[in-house]
Amino acid sequence: MGKEMLTGNGAAAWGVRLAEVDYIPAYPITPQTEIIETIAKWISDGSMDASFVTMDSEHSMITAAGAASATGARTFTTTSSQGLLYGFEMIYTVAGWRVPLVMVNVSRGLSSPITLGPDHNDILAVRDSGFLQIHCETCQEVLDSVLMAYRLAEDERVLLPVMVNMDGFYLSFTREAVEIPDMEKVRSFLPEYRPEHAFFRAAKPMAQGVAVLGGDFYSYFKYQMHLASQNALEVYKEVCDDFEKKFGRKYGTIDEYMLEDAEYVLVMINSFSTLGKAAVKRARENGIKVGLLRPRFLRPFPESEIKNALEGKKAVAVIDQNISVGKGGIIYSEMAGCLYNEVDKPLLLSFIGGLGGKNISQEEFEFIFEKMISASDTGIVEPPSLLYTESELEGMTKLKEIAGKE
Amino acid sequence: MLRLRFHGRGGQGAKVASRVLGTAAFLDGYNAQDFPLYGAERRGAPITAFTRISRDDIMERGLVSDPDIVIVMDETLLLDPQAMPLSGLKIGGIVFVNTPLSPLETKEEYGIEDHVVTLDITKVSLDMIGKPVLSSLAAGVASRIAGIGEGALKGALEKELSGIISDREILGKNTDAALHCYNALVPVQVKTAETIRERDNVITLPFEIARVSSPAINATGNTPLRKTGNWRVFRPVWNYDICTRCMTCVARCPEGCIRLNEDGYPYADYDNCKGCLVCAEECPVKAITKVREIHSRSEEGDR
Ligand code: SF4
Ligand code: SF4
Repeated sequence: MGKEMLTGNGAAAWGVRLAEVDYIPAYPITPQTEIIETIAKWISDGSMDASFVTMDSEHSMITAAGAASATGARTFTTTSSQGLLYGFEMIYTVAGWRVPLVMVNVSRGLSSPITLGPDHNDILAVRDSGFLQIHCETCQEVLDSVLMAYRLAEDERVLLPVMVNMDGFYLSFTREAVEIPDMEKVRSFLPEYRPEHAFFRAAKPMAQGVAVLGGDFYSYFKYQMHLASQNALEVYKEVCDDFEKKFGRKYGTIDEYMLEDAEYVLVMINSFSTLGKAAVKRARENGIKVGLLRPRFLRPFPESEIKNALEGKKAVAVIDQNISVGKGGIIYSEMAGCLYNEVDKPLLLSFIGGLGGKNISQEEFEFIFEKMISASDTGIVEPPSLLYTESELEGMTKLKEIAGKE
Repeated sequence: MLRLRFHGRGGQGAKVASRVLGTAAFLDGYNAQDFPLYGAERRGAPITAFTRISRDDIMERGLVSDPDIVIVMDETLLLDPQAMPLSGLKIGGIVFVNTPLSPLETKEEYGIEDHVVTLDITKVSLDMIGKPVLSSLAAGVASRIAGIGEGALKGALEKELSGIISDREILGKNTDAALHCYNALVPVQVKTAETIRERDNVITLPFEIARVSSPAINATGNTPLRKTGNWRVFRPVWNYDICTRCMTCVARCPEGCIRLNEDGYPYADYDNCKGCLVCAEECPVKAITKVREIHSRSEEGDR
């Protein structure tokens, strides 16, 4: 179909259209709304054949998506931020049903204070639910990831729901050129879903997510989910290989940028990694050997690939666009857990940046590079810190004055 | 890379303008990115949108804080302390202002030192489309300044507008108006230097007690400070020769900004009148006429 200028939201909608999804329960929330608006328009003008239902809340929406998926219908839904939290209970529930629905989350900072700008506390709040999590940097990646997500979710070795995540505004409303794959090619990559394991039929009474009043049973089911999630790493490799064969674009559980000969490494997820890559490029021009590692998956966490990629590096700085209040950066903790038992591990530094979509400036990246170099020179790692500048604090002080605070 | 920033008011079409330009650049063989900043805004509020155009990969995201070209779709925004359309403009950058004033007059009027290009695109829009909808026209001038080919602009207008305008005739008028604006401008060379950045140090955020640091507002609202009166394209003007003092306009004004003078005749508090013209619509004897804001202002001189 060739290239088109598409927003991240438009790209997600195209992914859903090309995946020939059967059922879409929806509930609007900024900055996700454009996805369901686009799909609704296509269904009404006949360019897409699917059932679309507007629900009364995200809680019902996720329930409906899970239930439809349990009948063997290919199902899509999407939300953001507070909406995801409102559906939180059902996120865990449908993951336990082992149904292969795909959900796009458009990241937006959580209240309070209220904001529309993106960060990743919303998606990370549901990190431990059993949903697989794919995180995207570009609009192209959003479209491609929706297609790959169905392959992954519907694989018998996995059968878990998948969340594809993109940043609000910086992807959701940003247009860039996106290659829209050919329908026939997509069909050969992602054939119609024909569930082999039990699925709901009106004619055949069944139950899903049953009560198991015993820890031994419960443990079994939970750990099976964990094993299935880990299987996804292997399955994803196959999916990526096939995707590359058919569409020419190469993906993996991690994205490596100028990493091979790097001594210092930035770890970031989602759209601001582009800014990180630009900073890496600038630093390289000044002779500093830096690179960037972007985990595309957070669940399952691609531990061995990350360990391999970071072997022999001097220092690694994690920029978390989230904050676990009372602890700090969530991905920093994940990385520390991942590297702890390694013998020759790099120093690990932690920065919180870009909360609520706050820009991460050139100065802030330079600051991080300086800290990595000095840590590796002295062996001393400074405590985690927030990326915040003098002029931003000035602005905040002014705002507080207007708000009547001393 | 060229970075453009569009400044308009909600409803004027800044977002669509940034998209038409993005698509035009894309069709012209460039890498392009466009992005609007909105969310809680409503009609009339200051809006920004951005377009990046480059031969190389675009390794930027989010808002453009150091534009090469600024497109001001509503000149009242030049005086708006929140919009600040000229902030961050690079040395050698170009400012387009939608105004009946000449570039020289505009520079003097608003104290602008950069290269100014002007055209009264609101007038073009009223003459050629019949409505003050500026999206395609702003895209036309932006494409000219950014050096995008006319064919690419045409293609982009067709592509972007056909999704939002179903009436072929209106679509044609939009395209004609945009191309008229494109050709009304003399081509310019954008010769900006790279951004000069003042070093902004990363600091350690200190702890502050909750009374200071919780997101609550302890002061009374600041809306009286924020006038809506500079949002207008047209302002209502009363003709007391016809007015019957029936009070219909007073009752219908959604802003509640029509008062009565000593003789019982209505008058608008122009600081808060947003120019919706509901009053003119509702007046049973048509005693209220609409006057183009820019003209009424220069006549009365009440800036
Ligand atoms: S145009 Fe008329 S109705 Fe609208 S705000 Fe002004 S005075 Fe009120
Ligand atoms: S509605 Fe018309 S006639 Fe009635 S008070 Fe207003 S201007 Fe006068």
